[in-house]
Amino acid sequence: METLKINGVEKQFPSGQLPTTVAELLQLLNINTATVVAEIDGQIIEREKFAETQLSKGQNIELIRFVPGG
Amino acid sequence: MFFFFDLRKMISINNKLRQAVVGIAGLGGLGSAVAVALARSNIGKLIIADFDTVDAGNLNRQQYFVDQVGKVKVDAMIENLKRINPDVKVKAHQQKLNPDNIGEIFAGANVIAECFDKAEEKQMLVETVLTRMDKPIIVSVSGLAGYGNSNEITTRRISNRLILVGDGKNGIDSGQPLTAARVGIAASHQANAIVEVIVDGIKG
Repeated sequence: METLKINGVEKQFPSGQLPTTVAELLQLLNINTATVVAEIDGQIIEREKFAETQLSKGQNIELIRFVPGG
Repeated sequence: MFFFFDLRKMISINNKLRQAVVGIAGLGGLGSAVAVALARSNIGKLIIADFDTVDAGNLNRQQYFVDQVGKVKVDAMIENLKRINPDVKVKAHQQKLNPDNIGEIFAGANVIAECFDKAEEKQMLVETVLTRMDKPIIVSVSGLAGYGNSNEITTRRISNRLILVGDGKNGIDSGQPLTAARVGIAASHQANAIVEVIVDGIKG
C-alpha cells in the first residue's frame, strides 16, 4: 500500500495505483479543479500546473475547496 | 491600575490598526460588512475593489441603503465609510480583479479579505495572492449560505498566509439563500481574524 495524506487524513492506495498527478487525484476525488487551491508539502500548486505536477507517496496534500456565496 | 493597564493595551492595539492596510476584494455581503467593521475598528487604510453597482436585491444583506440603489458600489461604500469614520483612508478601484492586476491593486496591503461570490473567483484570488505576492495574508470564506447553524462557521488557519472562514460546505449552488445574519457571522469572523493578525501576527 502507498499513502497520501489528504487534509490531514491518510488515504491508502494499492501499490502502483497512486494517482500520478494532482489533476488525476482531483478527478478521483470528483473535485472541480476550478474551485480548489492545492498545496503539497506546504507549497501552493497553481491550477494550470495540476496536470503536470507529479505526486509521490507520503506527500502531505491540502485541498482547499471553495463553494459559492459572498 | 487595571484601568491604566487596559488603556495602554487599547492604545497599542489602536496604533497597530492605524498603521495597517487591508485590501477588500468584492463589496457584497461579506466585503461591505468587513469594510464597515474595520472602519469602526479605526483601521488605517482600506483598499476596496468591486466592479458592480448597488442593486435593490443586495439590500437584504449588504451594507448599503435604499437611496444608494443604482450607485457604483465603491462610491456608495466610500460615502458610508466616511460617515462612520472619516479618519480611515480609502482607496477605491471600480474594476474586475484578475491575476494580472491583483498585485498592483493591493500593493502595500498587510492583509487581503477575499469577499467574492463565485467559487472560481475565490480560487483565483487565493491562488494569485499566495503565488504572486510575497507579503499579504489572505482571509478567505467558503460556506456561508442558509440560516441557523451559527456555530458551524469557523475560522481556521490553513498556513502562515492563509486563513479560511466558513462551514466549508453550504454554497448558494445547493439552492440555499444568502441571509443577512449568517453572511454577517462569516463577515465578522473574517474581520475579527483580520484584526487578530494585525495585532498579534498569525498564530501557528
